Amino acid sequence: MRALPVWSAVSAAVLTAALAAGAATRPALPSADQVLQAMLDAPGVVDYEGTKVMTVVRGHRAETVTVLEAYKRLGRLRLEFLSPEGVAGRLVVDDGAAAWQYEPSHHLVIQNPSFARPAVAPQAADVRRQSLVAVLGREEVIGRPAVVVVLEPRAGGPSRRYWVDEVTGVVLRTEERDAAGEVVFTSFFTRVGFGLNVPAALFRFTPPAGARIVPLYLSGDPMDSPQALAHLAGFPVAVPASLPFGYRFRTGTVTRRGPLVAATAVYTDGARTVTVFQAPAARFPLPPVGAPLPVGGRQGRVVEVGYFRVLLWQAGSTTAAVAGSLPDAALALVAEAVTP
Amino acid sequence: MSHHRLSRQLSAYLDGELTAEDEQEVREHLARCEACRDELRQLQAVRSLLRRLPEPQAPEDLWGAVRSRTVRALPRRRWPARAVLAVAAAAVVVLLALPAVRTRVDRLRAAGVGVDVFVREHALATAGEPFADRAYLGLLISDASAALAGVPREEERR
Repeated sequence: MRALPVWSAVSAAVLTAALAAGAATRPALPSADQVLQAMLDAPGVVDYEGTKVMTVVRGHRAETVTVLEAYKRLGRLRLEFLSPEGVAGRLVVDDGAAAWQYEPSHHLVIQNPSFARPAVAPQAADVRRQSLVAVLGREEVIGRPAVVVVLEPRAGGPSRRYWVDEVTGVVLRTEERDAAGEVVFTSFFTRVGFGLNVPAALFRFTPPAGARIVPLYLSGDPMDSPQALAHLAGFPVAVPASLPFGYRFRTGTVTRRGPLVAATAVYTDGARTVTVFQAPAARFPLPPVGAPLPVGGRQGRVVEVGYFRVLLWQAGSTTAAVAGSLPDAALALVAEAVTP
Repeated sequence: MSHHRLSRQLSAYLDGELTAEDEQEVREHLARCEACRDELRQLQAVRSLLRRLPEPQAPEDLWGAVRSRTVRALPRRRWPARAVLAVAAAAVVVLLALPAVRTRVDRLRAAGVGVDVFVREHALATAGEPFADRAYLGLLISDASAALAGVPREEERR
């Protein structure tokens, strides 16, 4: 019987042998720290390619999305969407420098920034500070042994269960439940293959002949301090160094899209992210979207995106928004913390 | 079709630039949605501002006056003072109105793209989370990017 391996210490040869062995052994349940560390290390130790099915509840409607997902260390990603009809054929190729998106129905290529973010290298202890973590047991997912672990954020918000492949540390299945215990998001592989050398050609993109190419870089240069962001914005903004629930300023930027200019501050608690946007109200009215949610006596509106939600409100000469996976009441508290 | 999405289509709708199918969708949505009808009315009001500006008629003898200057064959004739004043007044009104029109249209456009910008930027920031689902974030980011690039969402096409 052995515990879940710590992948940073595993050589490629050992990993290859483990991949070949598959589920030959049935070790005792690993500790929560061991599972978390294996999950954190997985992106650096193994490539994979598989078919994933996601179901997300948006408002009162559930959507099921099927996608071919391929990943190559470190941070290269390929997504080919198969269904539903609205996204079928869409291709996203992240080569580590840019994420290329092809919309076949419009013969359109969009050049996005790479999804790969600068490594913040959280440790299992960081995650445990922000969430209650428990190992629930072991189950098989598509014939592979997986450890089931649950994370309950201490600040509230949706809890997530992960089915973690015992051999690689890759998440094979995810389930997210809201405060009422209702499942609001699921994601699982129906087929997956692991390896150490998924072809690099899968992660190179050449725009189809004649396609229109739209570069879509909205963020400017990153600022590493609240003061620098406030200075760069060019209009009055409130950028505290920290927010309720242990969120600390990570980076900031000025986001521009046509007439919309917003100061964007990103905060993290070590595991999750909250983003705060502020724009001059004279140029950005409150959009008539979402459901009403009061923010410190003011009228706000919250838009449910599925994986997270966006709360918008106006205070004085500023229109602001905060996006995160916190529950509504917690988002409202964060909103009050950045309201002058 | 959602409110903030519709505001992006309204400009093209007013200009008659939509396909017959899209125009029909906008019309059907407007028939059901009071908020969107309000936005349309506001945009129409802004756009009609310029149309309501006075359009002074050129004096009948304008061409004669021009020709007289050109060929220098006829004695010089002066424009009626009222015509000159009307043209000047129209120019002043246009200059005063343009910033207001532009600000209003900019605000409508900003409201239209705002939520998509926020969703996209937050999803990109979330990609740094250790346990984020890459495929789902990829879906959110590509949905928002497509919308910002002008691709109508599926629910808008219905």
